[in-house]
Amino acid sequence: MYSEVPHSPELLKGTLQTIVLKVLKDNKKMYGYEITQKVKTLSEDRIVITEGALYPTLHKLEAEGLLKTETVKVENRVRKYYSLTQTGNDEASSRLQEFVDFIRTMGQVLNIEWA
Amino acid sequence: MELNRQHIEYILLDLQYRGLIHDGLQDEILDHLCTATEHRMKSGKRFIDAYSEVIRDFGQSAGLLNIQTETFFAENEKTKHMIKNYITIALRNVRKHAFYSFVNILGLSVGVAVCLIIALFIVNELSYDRHFENAHRIHRIESDILFGGNHYQMTYAPAPMAQALPLEFPEVEAAVHFRERGSYLVKREIENIREENVIWAGKDFFKVFDIPIVEGNAEQSLNMPNTMAVSKKVAKKYFPGESALGQSLILDNQWEFKITAVYEDLPVNSHFHFDFLLAAEGLEEAKSSFWLSNNFQTYLLLQEGADPTDLEAKLQALIERNIAPSLQQIMGSDFTFENFLASGNKLEYKLQPLLDIHLKSDLLGEFEANFNMTYIYMFGAIALFILIIACINFMNLSTARSANRAREVGIRKVMGSYRSHLVRQFLTESVLMTVFAFFIAVVLAWMLMPVFNNLSDRQLTIPFSNPVFYGLLLTAALVTGILAGTYPSFFLSAFKPVAVLKGNVSLGLKSGMIRAALVVFQFAISIVLIIATIAVFRQLNFIQSKNIGFNKEQVIMVDDTHGLGDQREAFKNEVLKNENIVNGTYSGYLPVSGTARSDNPWWVEGKDPRDQENMVSIQNWRVDHDYIKTLGMKVIEGRDFSRSFPSDSSAVILNETALRNFQFEGEPLGQRIATFGGDDVDITPDNQIYLTVIGVVENFHFASLKENIGSAMLQLSPQPQGYASFRFQAGDTKAVISLLERTWKDMAPNQPFSYTFLDDRFDKMYTAEVRLGRIFAIFTGFAIFIACLGLFALTAYTAEQRSREIGIRKVLGANTASIVVLLSKEFTRLVLIAFLLAAPLAWWMINEWLKDYQYRAEISWTLFVMSGLVAILIAWLTMGFQSVRAALENPVNSLRSE
Repeated sequence: MYSEVPHSPELLKGTLQTIVLKVLKDNKKMYGYEITQKVKTLSEDRIVITEGALYPTLHKLEAEGLLKTETVKVENRVRKYYSLTQTGNDEASSRLQEFVDFIRTMGQVLNIEWA
Repeated sequence: MELNRQHIEYILLDLQYRGLIHDGLQDEILDHLCTATEHRMKSGKRFIDAYSEVIRDFGQSAGLLNIQTETFFAENEKTKHMIKNYITIALRNVRKHAFYSFVNILGLSVGVAVCLIIALFIVNELSYDRHFENAHRIHRIESDILFGGNHYQMTYAPAPMAQALPLEFPEVEAAVHFRERGSYLVKREIENIREENVIWAGKDFFKVFDIPIVEGNAEQSLNMPNTMAVSKKVAKKYFPGESALGQSLILDNQWEFKITAVYEDLPVNSHFHFDFLLAAEGLEEAKSSFWLSNNFQTYLLLQEGADPTDLEAKLQALIERNIAPSLQQIMGSDFTFENFLASGNKLEYKLQPLLDIHLKSDLLGEFEANFNMTYIYMFGAIALFILIIACINFMNLSTARSANRAREVGIRKVMGSYRSHLVRQFLTESVLMTVFAFFIAVVLAWMLMPVFNNLSDRQLTIPFSNPVFYGLLLTAALVTGILAGTYPSFFLSAFKPVAVLKGNVSLGLKSGMIRAALVVFQFAISIVLIIATIAVFRQLNFIQSKNIGFNKEQVIMVDDTHGLGDQREAFKNEVLKNENIVNGTYSGYLPVSGTARSDNPWWVEGKDPRDQENMVSIQNWRVDHDYIKTLGMKVIEGRDFSRSFPSDSSAVILNETALRNFQFEGEPLGQRIATFGGDDVDITPDNQIYLTVIGVVENFHFASLKENIGSAMLQLSPQPQGYASFRFQAGDTKAVISLLERTWKDMAPNQPFSYTFLDDRFDKMYTAEVRLGRIFAIFTGFAIFIACLGLFALTAYTAEQRSREIGIRKVLGANTASIVVLLSKEFTRLVLIAFLLAAPLAWWMINEWLKDYQYRAEISWTLFVMSGLVAILIAWLTMGFQSVRAALENPVNSLRSE
């Protein structure tokens, strides 16, 4: 039933923030490249987050106060780690719940039988 | 494999080269690229290959910049960040163009400070008498009487009116009348103090005016003779540390008054400030039932909802009913009111609302000098004009600088700014500047306030503790900022980026025209103010130097001479022994306001007094033999009073107006004039008083020059009361004062010695005009200052813009003078246009103002030309500095950079 090709970016559009929040919730603190790799691994290469979408999203979430950052010096350069703030943590849970509801609704609408 | 320092450096430079500049993002992308490259290098690729693969995945430069743009948007969606950014940029701009910012902020804050002061002043003037709880129900009787050739519009009404009105008309809740008897000497035991604010008041004073009582009972305080109510201030002054209630004070060394109430001091913004209210119950005159003499200021408290116009109509009927009998007695039995009115007379009593008194009333017998509604409008207009001038500076400077900012606008637009962003950016800048200017303005106003108070004779303060004040101020700052910023911001944000970045900023004729129009407007206002100020001063000068019919210089007046008792003649003789004293006279009647007046009807002997044509209403002044000499009046016919003619006790000297009004048949000298003897109206010749005309004096002014000179006559009095006036030699005024004081102390110990100079008293009649002139001058100064500040900056800007042109002209042989002319020519033309617009307006305004004066200074065309020249001169001086500096600049400096 699973296809091997990556999911279309169109499908991912509305879920990027939810993915970022959930990944950060599970992994406490991560930097940008790490997040793309993590998602890639979790989705078995079927979800590829482009840098062009990731960084604006991270900055937007930070501006909204859901994320906080810390910079660490590593290997001749600085690295910016993102982690959830208290509100971000709550927001991650509610976004996740919202998404589950959404999938359930979609299941009804499209009349899908889960394997 | 890890990247080394050179690799990282390489990537960083590459990013910068590709245009990634966002601070936070740059580090982050760098790290991302490094990690990704490292990842790929693990499979054995060379750094440069791995890196270009990674960059390709990013979508090359376009992809990178896209991330950056997206990030900007994502971050800036939050208003907080946006506004912060606007403010940061605005502050940066303010600092970068320090000179223009300084001019803008200075001009605006001076303008706002002046406006603030005027606004507080106007608010204060409008607040007069509103503190009385029933203010809107209180009315004053205003008398409009035309009789015997004289027209009186005055606050005086007949004595019985105050008692009759509440009885006759149910809508009158209470009434109170006042009688002024001038100042009194007041003492508790020995030491006399002169008190000015003393008035005789009817018993219902506190019913009409709800002034809080500190001690005693308001209702019963004024209903017995020889009782009085005093203000808290007075109670404290005479009875420090004890209760004044029930205590007594002695007035004019003879009458003892018991204090029955102490009331709160009257607020500054009241039209009267009485400190002593003497019970009018003790005044014979107050109980009189005679309706023909008008001596009492009368105030009514109407019932809630009563219509004053209705009452006015009914009032007229009451007047006719009460006055007709008395008039019949004088005029004969065929007298009817209709005939009386038909022959051009007038006898009307109207109701004047209390709240109109301070700003709209200028009647005979006002308690204190009032203000004028016209001036309120004038001041308001000036405040608005000054603010507009300051705002125009702001707009002009902002648009003028647009060429410099055009490039900024271009870059911003290329970077993705919408027009709305730019409008907001520029508005933020202007609001920021105005808020700052307002802050400075409050400080400035606070510093200028004492000066203004001194000028305007007010006690204004800035209401620092009032939150409404701050609210209003902030709102005003925002509105001004938005108003002043709207035009520049829309103007600037409309630039086409391609055009500006290519360098051909076509600012077009349009902006130049608007700027020129604004400069013309500014200068037109300034010129109107200059002309108006000069006109006010001309009129003042005219009044003070006009031939007033007497010599006001070198005359000293000693007050309260009744304190001398029977030593009066001795005092005068003693003083006259001094060689500095030329002449001396006793009389309470002097040709300056605030001295005695007495108006009676007289007619030429032999004419029928019942015919109103023959009656002359005339000032009847009691003087002594030396009066005319001392005051420097000129006898133009007949002779002065003389001690060698004992018959002069029944002689009279007329002024020119009186001579004309009596219409003597034949030679007036030697004829007799007559009046009723006593208070009774009796026309039988035996009961009349006759005086023989022995001379005529040149007309002299005894009222403000706003009025025509009325009829006046001088008559000898065996015991003239009031002032002792002495004419003294110019020179040692101090010696004269000390001589008088020494002599006074010898002859009247314990009596206060007080003196004034005749010319001071004369000038006092025109304090309102002097004040107006000074306030005008100051406002004009500010308006011109602000307008010039703008012109200064504009010239500086033009010079800067045209520095290359000037350089080329100099290289080609232009001299300094021609360049100065070149730079000043345009603005000079604008100032000239402004003058042409301003002159007719100013001419009209001055004529409106002078209408109030019977005696006007001539306002000739030279005044206008002079004002125009002044404006141009000021403009030239302002521009001169900048123009000369630009013209003297070495052309190498401006051309080198080409």
